[in-house]
Amino acid sequence: MKTFSYTIKDEIGIHARPAGLLAKAAKEFESTITLEKDGKTAAATKLMAIMGMGVKCGDTVNVTVEGADEEKAAADMEAFFQANL
Amino acid sequence: MKDKIFGVLQRVGRSFMLPIALLPVAGLLLGIGSSFTNQTTIETYNLGGIIYEGGLLYTILDIMSQTGSAVFNNLALLFAMGVAIGMAKKEKEVAALSGAIAFLVMNTAISVLIAAKGGIEAMAENSTTSVLGITTLQMGVFGGIIVGLGVAALHNKFYKIELPQVLSFFGGTRFVPIVCTVVYLIVGIVMFYLWPIVQLGIAQLGVLVLNSGYIGTWVYGILERALIPFGLHHVFYMPFWQTELGGSMVIDGNTVMGAQNIFFAELASKSTEVFSVSATRFMSGKFPFMIFGLPAAAFAMYKAARPEKRKVVGGLLLSAALTSMLTGITEPLEFTFIFVAPLMYAVHCVLAGLSYMLMHILNVGVGMTFSGGAIDLTLFGILQGNQKTHWIWIVIIGLIYAVVYYFVFYFMITKLNLTTPGREPDDIEPKLYRRSDVDAAKSSGSAGGTDTVSALILKGLGGKENLSDVDCCATRLRITVVDVKKVTDSLLKKSGASGVLHKGNGVQVIYGPRVSVVKSNLEAFMESPQSDDLDRILQSEKGEEAAGKPQEKPVEKEPADGQKTIVMCAHQNGSVVNLEDVADDVFSQKILGDGIAIEPSVGKLFAPCDGSVDSVFDTKHAVSIVSADGVEVLLHIGIDTVKLGGKYFEAHVANGQEIKKGDLLISFDMDAIAGEGYKLTTPLIIANTDDYAAIAPAVKGKVAAGDELLKINQ
Repeated sequence: MKTFSYTIKDEIGIHARPAGLLAKAAKEFESTITLEKDGKTAAATKLMAIMGMGVKCGDTVNVTVEGADEEKAAADMEAFFQANL
Repeated sequence: MKDKIFGVLQRVGRSFMLPIALLPVAGLLLGIGSSFTNQTTIETYNLGGIIYEGGLLYTILDIMSQTGSAVFNNLALLFAMGVAIGMAKKEKEVAALSGAIAFLVMNTAISVLIAAKGGIEAMAENSTTSVLGITTLQMGVFGGIIVGLGVAALHNKFYKIELPQVLSFFGGTRFVPIVCTVVYLIVGIVMFYLWPIVQLGIAQLGVLVLNSGYIGTWVYGILERALIPFGLHHVFYMPFWQTELGGSMVIDGNTVMGAQNIFFAELASKSTEVFSVSATRFMSGKFPFMIFGLPAAAFAMYKAARPEKRKVVGGLLLSAALTSMLTGITEPLEFTFIFVAPLMYAVHCVLAGLSYMLMHILNVGVGMTFSGGAIDLTLFGILQGNQKTHWIWIVIIGLIYAVVYYFVFYFMITKLNLTTPGREPDDIEPKLYRRSDVDAAKSSGSAGGTDTVSALILKGLGGKENLSDVDCCATRLRITVVDVKKVTDSLLKKSGASGVLHKGNGVQVIYGPRVSVVKSNLEAFMESPQSDDLDRILQSEKGEEAAGKPQEKPVEKEPADGQKTIVMCAHQNGSVVNLEDVADDVFSQKILGDGIAIEPSVGKLFAPCDGSVDSVFDTKHAVSIVSADGVEVLLHIGIDTVKLGGKYFEAHVANGQEIKKGDLLISFDMDAIAGEGYKLTTPLIIANTDDYAAIAPAVKGKVAAGDELLKINQ
């Protein structure tokens, strides 16, 4: 299991567009990717769930990656967050 | 107290459903088979050429008749076992075995006492019968029910009993058949002395009937119906049909006794001009309510059922109604409501009695082989000619009866809120499918995972200690709780229930057909150590709640439904834009999912379907909805409008709110938004696109809100 935390820098937070991109990116991996913020969790592949978390600029999101390709998945997801959020 | 009785009756009624489901088939076999193997029928219609004993057709009909009656003759046993199964809290298979044993033991005890008294001859006429080869008292289904109820009570008390070490082999469930054997040996002895007194009383009533003319016929009809559940109707009506109590008459020089014998003698006689109503008054009354009344009652129950349940109950009710209509076997239909709604049965008895009286007054002379279905009406009424039988009155009164039964039953069911089949008391509540539907399926597949649905249910029911007994029927979880105040309906609904119903200490949580899975999961969960730490699970659950919106198509998973098309309706007035043509890659490349868009002409966003609001975005430019069918819908007003930060938008709904198609969700100032330089194209996205086979636009060009917009195939 791999984890990392990321503080959102994008001023509009994780909204429809980034959530869609995130879900799409997360689907590429075999591993289960889970987002967590203030006790709320969401599967990274679930668009509505991600949006439902209401992540805003400045919020810190904990990402958990678990599965066969967790090394690569965790690295790529971190890169995704940095690039898009 | 009343609620407790209601609860028990309801469970008894439910436990009946298993044997009842068999009755229509058995009834048709018996009805058709016996009508055409009846000697009188064969002779009257000169069918002797094709239907004769030993012939192929006769043998086939005979097999039908005999196998059908095998079911009816052993109804008491079926009920002894069925009620025991239904009423037992756990280890139901043991209750079934015990029910069968207790039934055999009770009847055998009676049998020995009958033999000791001098055999059947020493008993009152029509008071005995043979059950599974055991000569016993005629107790009908009632005999089975007292066994079933008693066995279940013993079972629930003793199935966990711990015996001293030496006897420990006989402890637990093994103790149940043992104690049932002993108890029902005694019950058998008691019944042997008690039941004949009841039977005698009933026989006395017969004399009363005979001496009171039309009113007597009415009373006869009421009693005949009312006694059916107790198996006492044979004691009551057989004397009328077969002995001089039903009259005696000289026909073609022979003295004939008994109503049915008189009718068939008249049928065989060439000199009969009109059938004697003094005999048929004990029979003809069955036709109007069996052919017309009860089927109309079935239709009323069908109409009163919740729309989504109609399909399920429709099959049961239709077959039961047909059986009653065709063969005059009414038990399948009557047993569907007698226990859940005894009052309806009482009304039915009164109406049935009235039917006998009307037939008597109108001089209708139609007899029957054994009951009043369309087959017998045709053979012994219509084909005999109206001159002889006045059968036309059966149709006239029958049609009136159909109307009366329909309205009386429908009125009673809806006004008194009776729980006839397929009827959930909260019939306004739309069925909601939530993530828990999925979880139920998921957790049944994955062994180790935390079962948050069960945790929710358990929490909603006030914890493990609060449960006295958990059971389920076709669509509901039925729980008896210790303290009703500890039950939280909202948590139960959150677990995916479409409704919660309270009756005293009984709680019914309605889940639909998947309830058996919910129940198994709940039971498994209660055994696990996790169930002691509900709050921790539910805390992490809160996050997951948002996370795990249905990922499988959660709706209409009943295989019967197969391909189902869900329709999303237009969320705005305007013109349709293909998603591919929306000026934003995230939408046009379907990154968020497939869907469709509208270029609005009015600044109002409406709900495209029934469902609940998942979340209204803080910036009020978008809203996500979970439809009643489980479709996850995202509505996003304009392109990049998140940057407006909520300016020019006004939300009219809140998170979690239930909505109906066409409800106003958000209104927005089109001119102002356009003035800031944003496009107003509003996509409707199916966020769980992967769950569906195909998603396709239903229209092109101009649409008005509420028009069919998008078709989703499962």
